[in-house]
Amino acid sequence: MPHVEVLPNSAASVAPGWTYVVDTGYDPSKVAINPKNKKRAAANPNQRGENELSSRQQTAIARRIAELNRDNDPKQSIPIPGKTSIPKTQNARRIIQYQRQIKHWLDDEEAQLAQVQQVPQPSARSAPSRPVAQPLRRSSIMAPVPPTPSEATPAPPAPSSHMDLEDDPLLAIDSSMPPPINQAELDALLSASPLSYAASHVAPPPTGGPPPRHFCDNCGYWGKIKCLKCGARVCGMECKDAHEATRCLKWA
Amino acid sequence: MAPRSKKATTVPSQTLVIDNGAYTLKAGLVPSAASDLSYDNCSMIPNCIARSTRDKRTYVASELADCKDFGELAFRRPVEKGFIINWEAQKAIWEHEFMDSSAGAGLRCDPKDTNLLLTEKPNCPKELQKNCDEIVFEQFEFAAYYRCVGGALNAYHPPSLGSLPQECLLLIDTSYSDTTIMPVYNGQLIHPAVRRLTVGGKLLTNYLKELSSLRHYNMLEETYLLNEIKEAVSFVAPSSQHFSKDLERTWKGRLGDKRELDSSIVLDYVLPDYEQSVHGYARPHDPAKSRMRRGLQPLQGPREDLLPLGNERFAVPELLFNPTDIGIHEVGLPGAVMEVLNGLPEALKVGMLANVVVVGGNTLIAGFMDRLEAELRSLVPANYLLNMVRADDPIKHTWLGAARFASQPEVIKEVLVTKAEYDERGSTWLGKKFAGESR
Ligand SMILES: [Zn+2]
Ligand SMILES: [Zn+2]
Repeated sequence: MPHVEVLPNSAASVAPGWTYVVDTGYDPSKVAINPKNKKRAAANPNQRGENELSSRQQTAIARRIAELNRDNDPKQSIPIPGKTSIPKTQNARRIIQYQRQIKHWLDDEEAQLAQVQQVPQPSARSAPSRPVAQPLRRSSIMAPVPPTPSEATPAPPAPSSHMDLEDDPLLAIDSSMPPPINQAELDALLSASPLSYAASHVAPPPTGGPPPRHFCDNCGYWGKIKCLKCGARVCGMECKDAHEATRCLKWA
Repeated sequence: MAPRSKKATTVPSQTLVIDNGAYTLKAGLVPSAASDLSYDNCSMIPNCIARSTRDKRTYVASELADCKDFGELAFRRPVEKGFIINWEAQKAIWEHEFMDSSAGAGLRCDPKDTNLLLTEKPNCPKELQKNCDEIVFEQFEFAAYYRCVGGALNAYHPPSLGSLPQECLLLIDTSYSDTTIMPVYNGQLIHPAVRRLTVGGKLLTNYLKELSSLRHYNMLEETYLLNEIKEAVSFVAPSSQHFSKDLERTWKGRLGDKRELDSSIVLDYVLPDYEQSVHGYARPHDPAKSRMRRGLQPLQGPREDLLPLGNERFAVPELLFNPTDIGIHEVGLPGAVMEVLNGLPEALKVGMLANVVVVGGNTLIAGFMDRLEAELRSLVPANYLLNMVRADDPIKHTWLGAARFASQPEVIKEVLVTKAEYDERGSTWLGKKFAGESR
């Protein structure tokens, strides 16, 4: 018997191994006018969201991204042509012989940080893996819905307190001047250590934002149909066949 | 002549400045007190060793200019994610470009008589920094050396008003390895506020390669070609709404409801055959040609291999603005810039927004700057001034900033460490010194 999962809000037509899911093909103009997705999510808190991924799918995506982000092909070895100078010291010899990939160095960095963090540190000098405070990440500046520039014909509303100054832009900017910088705060910021590589990545989009967009795995159009074998999306029956013949389960 | 330093140790009067990128390294010899530095002083050199299975030749770095057949060309790159990880290859490339008889005019130098200013990406693992420092002094034996994050040296470009270094600078570097956002105060990087996005030019090229291979030909070995195609045809949609519209215009429709592809947006890329042509080119999509290609219509005209490009043109660079489109759990570039700013005190935030400089090869994608500026504008409080520019030469700009820094004798002397000091105090001390921990 084919395993058919009917997703919440799915339309009628169901094919073996396939089901229509609501086209969340993200259109910010629709989201802005009619935020029905949010309401629906709130109304059905217990239903599995159609955007949720199984851990298998998540692993598959992570592998694909790692592949897309790879610098060198480990299967390939291109020897250095011609003569090069011989290592001059023991250090140099050791370093020149390393054939490790960046992944190994970054794993080492994380492992060392984990060790350091287990031992109580007398000095605050070691690289924190995240800044101590994450100030204002979800502040009002980060609008929950991402910008829709062409739509924003009227400029984003300024705080009302500035409205009366609008006809004098210089004055408006002047009036919004922040408090002068605190030297101690600045010094602390300038002398703080860098984050680790892993910690330096930006945060995911804010949770209140628009849902991720889904695209057809085959042709790149909106992905309206979900493959139940691997979770990929396709746009229609034609691309469903192509997907099954090519990439279904490729990254799983 | 440079004024003699009052410091006991003297350093050579020329500095080799290297911005050592994963895709290209930017380099040039900078004389002390040079006053007329420009992009022309910078050489751009492929930072790779390439091997062709066709002509069985191995090309080291600048030798790639001699290559006439980029088919199935394999690359070995000493830099991964922006950091030097393979010194066997990096050493061979540096020797080839700067020290051996193969070195280009104006680049050849004797390290014993030269300072080295080497830039790095932010958040480099300490072990890799240590390896780098040891190789510079123990293998190359440069007379003196300074290593720092390249982005920060963009504060040494002459500002329209005010003095050097520029007081507040928000540098966005969207290049091959990734995209980094660096707030710089008085020439000093504010390390804990730096953030990076996984998406860079490499990921975009690989994504286009993956899509083209899935949809048309197996091109998995054609990295060089796909990079060329990406540079020729990509554009960033002006907004999410435009993106949706363009997606419609490039859709084939469904069975029984086929749509004609809009040839004002769909292109055919004529692939090079590496016999008559070394480079391909794009032209508007011709449906007849694609029917011929699929054997639905008799062949006419010269035989050519066409790669049709529809939504790939804008869906690929879209990843810079919506990394979640392929499942990367990161906010897009405009949101990332806000994350960086929100880690700063309010006064600095205002200063940074008034001086945003964008560098890196991805800035050359058509529409990139307009989209970034529009989205950033809508995120920044309306009463804040936003002043954002792309560097005139976004690829060489960081090098030129570094060169300007290196050309000021009293500035560079402050930070250079001599080989004698290194020999006396070692690489652990040096690592701390460059990290600003032992002033
Ligand atoms: Zn499709
Ligand atoms: Zn599937």
